[in-house]
Amino acid sequence: MRVSPSRGPALLGALTALVLLATGCFTDGGQDTEGRLGVALAFPPVKQMSPFSDDALLLGRVGAAEPLTRLDEEGELQPLLAQDWDQDEDGAWTLQLREDVTFHDGTPMEAEHVADALEHASAASPRPRALAGTDLEADAEDEHTVRIETGEADPILPQRLSAPELAILAPSAYEEDPAAPDPVGAGTGPFELTEVGGGSATLEAHTGYWNGAPSAQGVDVDFVENDASRVGGLRTGEVDVVDAVPIVEAEAMDEDELVEVPIPRTVGVLLNNESGAFTDPGLRAAAAGAVDNAPVAEGVYEGRADAVEGLYGPVSDWAVQRPRPEGADPGDAGGEAITLATYDDRPELPEAASAVAEDLRSAGFEVEVTVQDFATMETDLMEGAYDAVIGTRSYLVETNDPVNYLASDWSCEGSYNLARFCEEDIDTMIAEAAGHTEPEERHEAAVEIEEAVLATDSFVPLVAERARVGVAEGVEGVAQDPLERTLVTERTQAP
Amino acid sequence: MSAPTQERSGRGTAAASGLRGPLTVLASCAGVAFVVGALPWLSGNDPAQTVLRARSAEREADAQALESVRRELDLPSGPVTGTLEWMGGALRGDLGVSWVSGAPVAPSIASALGVSAALAAAAALIALATGLLVVLPGLVRAVRSHRGPGRGADVTGAALASTPDFLLASVLLSVVAVGWGLAPTSGWEGPAHMVLPALALGLPAGGLISRVLAGALSATLAEAWVRTWRAVGCSPAVLALSLLRRTVAVALPQVLLVFAGLMGSSVIVESVFAVPGLGHTALDGVLAQDLPRVQGAVAALVVMGLAVGGAGILLHRALLGPALGSAGLSPAVAAGAPPRSLPALLGGVLVAVVALGLLRDPDAVGLTARLEAPSPAHPLGTDALGRDVWARFGHGALISVGAGVAVSLVALAVGTAVGVCGRRARAGAADVLNALPPVLVGVLVAAVAGPGLGGAMAAVAAVAWIPIAVHARTLATEVRASGFHLAAVAGGAGPVWLARRHLVPSVLPAVSRHALMRIPHNTLALAGLSFLGLGAPHDSPEWGAMLAEGVRYVERAPWVVAVPALGLALLGAVASLVRTRRPER
Repeated sequence: MRVSPSRGPALLGALTALVLLATGCFTDGGQDTEGRLGVALAFPPVKQMSPFSDDALLLGRVGAAEPLTRLDEEGELQPLLAQDWDQDEDGAWTLQLREDVTFHDGTPMEAEHVADALEHASAASPRPRALAGTDLEADAEDEHTVRIETGEADPILPQRLSAPELAILAPSAYEEDPAAPDPVGAGTGPFELTEVGGGSATLEAHTGYWNGAPSAQGVDVDFVENDASRVGGLRTGEVDVVDAVPIVEAEAMDEDELVEVPIPRTVGVLLNNESGAFTDPGLRAAAAGAVDNAPVAEGVYEGRADAVEGLYGPVSDWAVQRPRPEGADPGDAGGEAITLATYDDRPELPEAASAVAEDLRSAGFEVEVTVQDFATMETDLMEGAYDAVIGTRSYLVETNDPVNYLASDWSCEGSYNLARFCEEDIDTMIAEAAGHTEPEERHEAAVEIEEAVLATDSFVPLVAERARVGVAEGVEGVAQDPLERTLVTERTQAP
Repeated sequence: MSAPTQERSGRGTAAASGLRGPLTVLASCAGVAFVVGALPWLSGNDPAQTVLRARSAEREADAQALESVRRELDLPSGPVTGTLEWMGGALRGDLGVSWVSGAPVAPSIASALGVSAALAAAAALIALATGLLVVLPGLVRAVRSHRGPGRGADVTGAALASTPDFLLASVLLSVVAVGWGLAPTSGWEGPAHMVLPALALGLPAGGLISRVLAGALSATLAEAWVRTWRAVGCSPAVLALSLLRRTVAVALPQVLLVFAGLMGSSVIVESVFAVPGLGHTALDGVLAQDLPRVQGAVAALVVMGLAVGGAGILLHRALLGPALGSAGLSPAVAAGAPPRSLPALLGGVLVAVVALGLLRDPDAVGLTARLEAPSPAHPLGTDALGRDVWARFGHGALISVGAGVAVSLVALAVGTAVGVCGRRARAGAADVLNALPPVLVGVLVAAVAGPGLGGAMAAVAAVAWIPIAVHARTLATEVRASGFHLAAVAGGAGPVWLARRHLVPSVLPAVSRHALMRIPHNTLALAGLSFLGLGAPHDSPEWGAMLAEGVRYVERAPWVVAVPALGLALLGAVASLVRTRRPER
């Protein structure tokens, strides 16, 4: 086979042509941005914006979809799409819905839609975390009243209903695939989702919004995972609001560009109770005593996180008055070899691991540190393959008390039990706490359980994190939500 | 395997060999398909759990949730049945739906492929242009003055080739996009969005291409025809163009290799500029064990890789023209050995800096001294944990250089053997391997070899030999078309004798310089797999790890990355100047 010499340049030209041709693959951009908000978010949609995934948070943060209730900045339960609720003697809840809500497609919201939406959520695979372990049956009593029965009487169902996964969407959303509803044009929030894909999403103001027409005319969302370029977009004026501003970038920003909120998320060292060196309470006490968290908060977190004494951070005012736990006497580490693991999904964790390892080494431990992507090490983490794990955990997720967190992280059968922790007394305490109906009682119980857990030295508290949102000059009314469920609201003004 | 057969099959007459080509390709494709299909079984992680995690980062993976995901996904019962089902669907054009998102795989792969192809093509063009610019002064000098092309290109090229693309991307982002506002920071909305990512990928690749170009240039300059043309008074411009054509012919297969390789592996650069490309699709897919998405991405990459590998061979033949078949070439031993003084000087500086660093303490953590600028106490500053950068640089030298050199030597041995012994040049297993996303290779190696530095070296070496093999193959094709080789064949030389006396000695100098220049590149690739648990242990002062961890602080504390980056550049420069040829016999 002989190829003519002229083909060489031709093929080179083909490479150039490919570049030019592929310009057809560029996503659209550059429409009029007057009065619109440009938002850059760190996490892209994972399941085509289905609320039965982490995309639920996304829908809430850009103001596209709303659940029936909400938790305010103090964690108090407040009405949203439901204006009132009441529990019967047999444990069922009756909710009064707002009567002036319309979905983005123009359908007025009725009790029947709400009941259907909740039942779809309850049937989702897997069932949303807020409903885990709850059997839920919802019926429309009349046009604006919904009755919800749960298998066992549920004292905190209204709190559960504030979860973003339980957002109420129009019937059209569930038509094609009820297991993965499509929220485009089907929410109730101040902004209507009109387009998703190619690393961006577009929302238009919902003029018929029940709480008044939104200030901004629309929201243009870009999903930018890289921290430096997300914040870079704010600095060049390409976007007006960015979430998840990393600590390293916060240093270079003006304080008025930064909205910082303490969140219920604690970083700590979990010591393996089931196998290895830390089955010995003395060695656990030695490790707990060796770790100094103040330099971690000041150094690794640059003072943008708070050193904590327990499972809960300063955002939870009910946990500020905590008794000092009485632990075992520290034993002698005596060159005991241990493994310390953490994941690199958050850049501060590996640095914290290095600092903690140094502390443990100076206390006489021999420490080997392992850092991997969470996905590749989850099996090992859950099986207790390491002696110590540095983890970060949100302790108020679907309700405003940490009982669910305590059950999953600190009970024998817990499904996120990184410390491989199992104390019968504490299991009983957690089960009792779950039965309390009053928030105060649940909080008190949570503080007691915390004391019991800390007394075993199985958790070495490091810091409580803060959420950081970057806002451009002239942008006002960005939500300061410790649960990070809202960001852009009807009150948010474009510059 | 005899040389005459090679010559004939090169013209497509040997039926058996013609059949073996497609068979190898089919076998390697099927092999890849089965390996990808077996991913969850090899990694030992439950796909229901990884899929759940990808959908809900904080959802507890309780038994009920896992069971419901498992039921929903209808996971295949075993790797073989799963792969066969996927193959059946793929042949009908159905790539299935993503386990994580539930969306059909084909459209998302197609759009990501378009983006990646455009970016990789732009980067490959920049690489070629950069490579040509680097060797151009040498070419002009050689044509004008009848001397060798000089060594300037080696040092420039080596410095470029040792630049980590992720560091370049971060610097371009903060200087060009944020500082000067000359380009958008992220997104993929128009040609302006393509400039910075293509530069970040293309410039380091251009350094490697320049090495191949420079090697080809000095070899071509030594060919007899150059003397003849000069003697007959041929104009320098005509001579330069002809030289350039011969040189580019050797480099083009490398350029295309860069193109095919970048499509699936430019993950960090894609992420820095938020480019919705195939590298990121593949990475997310592998981590979530979203098999349909991984299978779709790998299929797209492999098909592109094979097409591009084939195109590279055609291009090489096309550019050499009729000379290739008819003893028209006489690659000769290039003139001019490198000066000893420069590498000795650069090497001396490197060794001195490393030695002084070894006297300091690399592990002393001081969180109060975080990211401190150079000072008398810490002459090269401190890193994010307040550790002395100079000390870490010194203590990390042995492991960084050692691992990089070891991988390069393995790549050189395997690459030369494959390139020289390969029968007819054709797209094959190497192109398939080159197109695979590094994260996939990493996960598979981690599953087989376990975590650690050895695993990382195996994963990097598994692909590092390919450019060397393609280079060797390209050069060997020219040697086989040369008069002295044909004379030896006519004289009844056997294949072993031919390889030992002609092919390897002619090919080895250029190829080993190429392999040496890739040492920094390999060192960086080792650090790129650390998120899988491969590579040097956490807290090791290995240079690639220093760079990967320090790149976040490039604006606040540039010294944290500048020191290891300069170290790699020096290492590259020294390696590129090492004498790879014995003095004239």
